[in-house]
Amino acid sequence: MTDTALRSAPKPGTGTRARRPEAERVRSRPAQVALNVLQRAWLIVVVFAIWWIASADSTNVFIPSLESILTSLGRDLFNGVIAEGAAYSLGNLAAGLLIAVAVGIIGGLILGETKRLREIVDPVIHFFRSVPQAALVPLIIGAFGIGQGPKIYTIAFACMWPVLLNTIDGVLGVEPTIRKFSRVYRIPRGLHFRKVVLPAALPQIVAGVRVALPIGITVMVVSELFAANKGLGFYILNSSATFMVPETWAGALLVGVIGYILSLLFVVLERRILSWYFKSGAK
Amino acid sequence: MAIQAAPEDVQVATKPLLQVQGLTMSYGFGDSENKILNDLNLDVNDGEFVSIVGPSGVGKTTLLRCLSGLIQPRSGTVSVGGEVINGPHRDLAVVFQDYSRSLMPWMTTLENVAFPLQGRGVGKKERNETAEKNLAAVGLAGQGHKYPWEMSGGMQQRVAIARALAYNAKVLLMDEPFASVDAQTRFDLEDLVIDLQATLGVTIILVTHDIDEALYLADKVIVLAEKPATVVDVIETGFGDHRDQVETKADPRFADARARILHRLRDH
Ligand SMILES: Nc1ncnc2c1ncn2[C@@H]1O[C@H](COP(=O)(O)OP(=O)(O)OP(=O)(O)O)[C@@H](O)[C@H]1O
Ligand SMILES: [Mg+2]
Repeated sequence: MTDTALRSAPKPGTGTRARRPEAERVRSRPAQVALNVLQRAWLIVVVFAIWWIASADSTNVFIPSLESILTSLGRDLFNGVIAEGAAYSLGNLAAGLLIAVAVGIIGGLILGETKRLREIVDPVIHFFRSVPQAALVPLIIGAFGIGQGPKIYTIAFACMWPVLLNTIDGVLGVEPTIRKFSRVYRIPRGLHFRKVVLPAALPQIVAGVRVALPIGITVMVVSELFAANKGLGFYILNSSATFMVPETWAGALLVGVIGYILSLLFVVLERRILSWYFKSGAK
Repeated sequence: MAIQAAPEDVQVATKPLLQVQGLTMSYGFGDSENKILNDLNLDVNDGEFVSIVGPSGVGKTTLLRCLSGLIQPRSGTVSVGGEVINGPHRDLAVVFQDYSRSLMPWMTTLENVAFPLQGRGVGKKERNETAEKNLAAVGLAGQGHKYPWEMSGGMQQRVAIARALAYNAKVLLMDEPFASVDAQTRFDLEDLVIDLQATLGVTIILVTHDIDEALYLADKVIVLAEKPATVVDVIETGFGDHRDQVETKADPRFADARARILHRLRDH
């Protein structure tokens, strides 16, 4: 996994090397989080430094200096232009992801548990997941209009597939002995779903959500490139249409930063809800 | 049953707790039908400890799956307390061979033991108390907060036994429950099960391919052989309630019974 790869190569001097036996070190969560952030941050700092230096004297209109990008970003963040857009976009992303996760998990649990239904629906699932999601954006918006709703549905639609497919896989992977246990001890259906199948499939489900996250961010931006008057995508489109190149870059940069922060938050969440999974060494 | 003979006589009229009649089981149909069990009949009395021995692949697990209601026999019946079962039954609990796979790693030990009670609608406080009590009964008092994967194999199998006990079924079905632990742990677990059976009066049917284990534990040993499997012998061990890993196994009756089983298995 990428995070272990990053962790095994800590920057000398950050003092992380001495604390190697990480499996034992489960307490003090805030300290751990801070440490993780530090470990991941150094390379980015280096990249930005190189970017800063290399682009400092740029005369290419399409590649402005990082300094001017950051200046625009800072200005528009503080005067509210971009912050408002970001709030709108992130709201859509959150709503879309929430729907995707709910529908994906519930649908996946049901499909995973009922073989006949799964066999019927399988070709449809594989058809829809193979369609490039971003290409559907204009269609969905064309069909449902330009409001906030269609944007949320588009994000939800695109993000649902990895969650759904991973949930089905997770359900199919439930240990047969545990299934037998559940039957012999006559665990009622609802409880069986909530306390046996769902937790057993959770590692896979979480992996599905992890895949869905960047898809959601992409679709979020793309959905605002069509028929929108706010949002990060709109900001990018609008600034590029009016030749405000540093602003275009600033918007793209901000999307990247948001994506990065979200993936970090996701790791924290993952460690939290799957702590048994990581600690048991099942991983 | 020499020692228990007197009280047993009084109960002759009572029906066996678990009864298997004309049980036949196959896997597959038509040309590919593979008949595993042929017209098996078994009676298990309340409070009895019955071992089922037989060579590998004879159909012991298949029989136990029929008894637990996990699979339906092709013909014949399994009844508990006079009631023919057609699926998992309230009075039947199973201890699976593979303890590490039958316990849920996302639940603590206590939660694992209490979970079947939750399925039955027992309130949280009561089921936790029951779980705690049964963990203590298997020698794991105060260990309920640990996760199964924090425990040794022997401890995990104790948890699985506690879970079956907490379910409070009349009959405990065990499929080679000690096959994957080391010898010393195995002896400890055998003695634990004997103790529990004596104190709780639960009826136990245990499948094993280890003849010594079958004899040491049981009141009655059922020998399965042939293909498809039938009961080729039933041996009343007659060691009574007191068993000792050294003494009992040195008992001449133990050696006789073992020789008899080995003969039976060789002849078939
Ligand atoms: N699900 C199944 N489908 C088809 N055949 C099966 C199935 N389960 C078991 N069998 C076959 O039935 C026969 C009896 O198997 P079973 O597992 O009951 O034997 P066993 O006595 O428990 O053996 P062991 O001591 O090795 O556990 C074997 O020949 C096996 O190949
Ligand atoms: Mg078997």
